[in-house]
Amino acid sequence: MNLKDCHNFSDFRKLAKKKLPSPIFHYIDGAADDEITYQRNTSSFNDVDLVPNVLRGVENIDLSTTIFGKKLDLPFYCAPTALQRLFHYDGERAVGKAAQKFNTMFGVSALATVSVEEIASLINTPKMFQFYFHKDRGLNDSCLERAKAAKFDVLALTVDTITGGNRERDLRTGFTSPPKLTLSSLFSFATKPMWGINYLTKGKFELPHLQDYVKEGTSTNTSIGNYFSTMLDQSMNWNDAEKLCSQWGGHFALKGVMSVEDAKKAVDIGCSGIMVSNHGGRQLDGSRSPFDQLAEIVDAVGDKIDVICEGGFQRGTHMLKALSIGAKACSGGRLYLYALAAAGQAGVERALGQYKAELERDMKLMGCKKISDLNRNNLRFRKV
Amino acid sequence: MNLNDCHNFDDFRKLAKKKLPSPIFHYIDGGADDEITLNRNTESFNQCDLIPNVLAGGGKPDISTEIFGRKISMPIFLSPTAMQRLYDPEGDRASARAAEKLGTMYGMSTMATSSIEEIVNVSSGPKLFQLYIHKDKSITDDLIDRCKKAKFDGLCLTVDTIVAGNRERDHRTGFTTPPKLTIKSLFEFAAKPGWVFNYLTNKKFELSNVKHKTDKGTNITKSVIEYVNEQYDPGMNWQDAEYCIKKWNGPFALKGVMSVEDAKKAIDIGCTAIFLSNHGGRQLDGSRSPFDQLKEISDAVGDKLEIILDGGVRRGTHVLKAIAAGAKACSFGKMFLFSLASGGQAGVERALQNMQKEIERNMLLMGCKSLKELNRSKIIYKK
Repeated sequence: MNLKDCHNFSDFRKLAKKKLPSPIFHYIDGAADDEITYQRNTSSFNDVDLVPNVLRGVENIDLSTTIFGKKLDLPFYCAPTALQRLFHYDGERAVGKAAQKFNTMFGVSALATVSVEEIASLINTPKMFQFYFHKDRGLNDSCLERAKAAKFDVLALTVDTITGGNRERDLRTGFTSPPKLTLSSLFSFATKPMWGINYLTKGKFELPHLQDYVKEGTSTNTSIGNYFSTMLDQSMNWNDAEKLCSQWGGHFALKGVMSVEDAKKAVDIGCSGIMVSNHGGRQLDGSRSPFDQLAEIVDAVGDKIDVICEGGFQRGTHMLKALSIGAKACSGGRLYLYALAAAGQAGVERALGQYKAELERDMKLMGCKKISDLNRNNLRFRKV
Repeated sequence: MNLNDCHNFDDFRKLAKKKLPSPIFHYIDGGADDEITLNRNTESFNQCDLIPNVLAGGGKPDISTEIFGRKISMPIFLSPTAMQRLYDPEGDRASARAAEKLGTMYGMSTMATSSIEEIVNVSSGPKLFQLYIHKDKSITDDLIDRCKKAKFDGLCLTVDTIVAGNRERDHRTGFTTPPKLTIKSLFEFAAKPGWVFNYLTNKKFELSNVKHKTDKGTNITKSVIEYVNEQYDPGMNWQDAEYCIKKWNGPFALKGVMSVEDAKKAIDIGCTAIFLSNHGGRQLDGSRSPFDQLKEISDAVGDKLEIILDGGVRRGTHVLKAIAAGAKACSFGKMFLFSLASGGQAGVERALQNMQKEIERNMLLMGCKSLKELNRSKIIYKK
């Protein structure tokens, strides 16, 4: 199996599984507790059916959308995800360049393995910096100022990782960052020698936004759950978010809002957008899927801020359903991470290209020429 | 396993799988993307229950109905489907003869592997022609003129293939028309020597209705996907449909209407029928099943045009539910194609006989003497 055999999400997943040491694959692939929420994030799309219109003359399709004041050519983008150089030695460089090629937003994580300065020098398309609120205020200021200096377009404060989720696959595989060779993981690393060679020869693994302030994740092995639980400030509240929002002074979003109450507060503190997200099912298992919750949120705040639906997307039709409900854009991590692991930049480009082709085809079959043609009249919720 | 062992959809499917090279079987069997809609098309019938009446007095029920101005013996007929000679050497001729014998309608595809004129010679039964609008408009005019001359009863324009669906099984098997031997598919074809023998010793494979207008699909090995995307007009609109209706000037349907808005427009432009269809789940995955959508459509336009439910029908009870919800008749593709692959004309006859028997038996069990007695009071939608 190679890249040209990858026609869909599960093909990329299969190829990634072949290429990655098992602890790393399961770090991407896994989620919290029994992974009920993780599964639901995708299956929720199947409880809604599309009702197309015909004979609309649909030669040309415009997939563009505008979020955070930036026009994107696609109504979906690459959500910020951590540790990308563990999945492919080019890491964020590959994903950023692929996102630029399609003129969509690229989200860079605070736990990225390539710096905001380098990303800014590589691509000139819209960029989002994802911010974790650390106990160390010096670190917080440094992250914010560096993202500002690098002219990032959006700052997204993640609010659903106040403590680490219970990712049981990581407990079993012993996944840490940087990867630690234990007796039990040794075998899985040894079976993927190419990954090991690349990891050791393609530049040192580091977390450039953090390393001047913390050892964890770079020279000290830590699990992500442990990092969240020990490094992030659990006292973070609405005042902190509001202060950050004004300190940033630009487009600001909360990532991981699920309740209507919180969505309204986000409007009040000056956010220009929110990501309706449960962190890919990786935090609170049993929590509602973004798509199930989307209509409620859009009805409450959709006319005031950009509502982005995040998580579970594996198909163009999934995105079409979220956009029909009123999301301004869709985003995802696994959406492109398996493709990154499968083949670096070429993999991410193929994945983004396939979603784009699916969306174009699905829009034509729906009889819609532009994203704003999609609406709830085109949907029927199944009775369950 | 042979034809006598085929009692239902699954049996025909199994036998077809044994007889056909795998890329061809999967071309029939597959749907778009994750096949959610393909599966839902049949599952949706299980979301609705039949409520029988008893002691209604016996006697053979009348299951005939009328569509496109022709009486048909049972409320189910053969959907127009492409390239039937891939499944049986007689192809459309076998299907048309079987339909005539059982007294129901045969639908012919623009992409049939027999010509309009050839079919008129083998069947005087009810016939429907399915039209695709090609970028080359003279193909459309030519097809309509020929159907008129051949006295087809009805014409339907397919409107849900403005672009080809993402049929991933075809990506994997490398399905093309005519079949192309790649190293990967060679084994599949070699495993079904009977099929290969028939294919090579019978008349040359061609898209008989359009071969004089385009060499695509005949001389050039193209996947169906490429054919659809190259040849069909993505700019097709309501004016184009109206043009066809005026030119045809007879019973006319749009095939692939799903929204109430479009069903109302269909009335406005002069359609006498619509096929409520998602193209057998082969186009837009995640789209609603025809049976789920039937109630809404029937409430809006059921008194003004004939609603044909197309997709997911496997059983007589499925037909009964559709009629009760407001359809005038049902049509099926996959089911009869598997029967065609299983046993040619005899296979299709057997599939239609099975359906006829099931519909008659179930009408008796429902306490209904004619299809008119099937209405919403006879079904309950599960919550």
